[in-house]
Amino acid sequence: MVSLPVVLAAGAVMFGIGLYGALGQTNTIMVIMGVELMLGAAMLNVVGFLRYSHPHGTSGNFFVLVVMTLMAVEAAVGFALVVSVFRHRRTAEVDDLTDLKG
Amino acid sequence: MSDLATAIVFWPAAALMLGTALYVFITSSMARAGLLLLASLGVEGLVFLALASEFLGFLQLLMMSGEMVIMVFFMVMFMPDPGGLMGMDMTHDKRRSASVAIAIAVGLAVVAVLTDWPARVAGTDAPDVRAIGYEVMGRSMVSFLFAAMTILLAMVGGVLLAKHGGRFGIPAPAGEQRGQEND
Repeated sequence: MVSLPVVLAAGAVMFGIGLYGALGQTNTIMVIMGVELMLGAAMLNVVGFLRYSHPHGTSGNFFVLVVMTLMAVEAAVGFALVVSVFRHRRTAEVDDLTDLKG
Repeated sequence: MSDLATAIVFWPAAALMLGTALYVFITSSMARAGLLLLASLGVEGLVFLALASEFLGFLQLLMMSGEMVIMVFFMVMFMPDPGGLMGMDMTHDKRRSASVAIAIAVGLAVVAVLTDWPARVAGTDAPDVRAIGYEVMGRSMVSFLFAAMTILLAMVGGVLLAKHGGRFGIPAPAGEQRGQEND
């Protein structure tokens, strides 16, 4: 059967997959995709807590709404940055953006 | 939803969600990666439904469908090989990234399993949409407005960043466009 630790463990695996994408991909869009997966894992955790420790509460639903908002905002700002960088550098590869490297 | 029904929906959906999420970063086709991410986050909505969060499940399906379709457009626009036909490797530090990700995932999973969580509260019925509406338009109204303002600011900021010339009005350098070096 399903329990809170099972849901949290699934969220942990999803977070790890997203982290692998964010760290290991060279294209900015793919990095954004990794961050989306990490936020999805956070939402899964919140829904798990909602179901198993606070099933009748409504404030947790609102918290998931805020995380969904964050996902949309992160994607919008990320895409805008990609467009801006691509205009000036003609690339969206993070390996080519090393101006701040010491 | 009963525990058995939850298990019947949850296990296949969770496996599909994690499998498609992993395949996002394995496939060489970037367009396929975008669609796999859409599948993964869409199936996560099914997991929400299995966990008796109908409102969030349907909202997740709607939000992610729109967002991921937009993401696929951006991938096709900005990736050198969106179809994966040239077999390009678009990864770096693969082994180190995988090590860090596996270590963190295993660590979080171990904490999730070994922690003595509070006892399960009786009742499996999620609050109905009306109650969530009262929450959003009542006690959490200020936070909801703040989230709405954040989206508005992100839209304005995104347009400012992405417009020709950027926020400082500096135009992009002329020439040296990709694909024209050998002309």
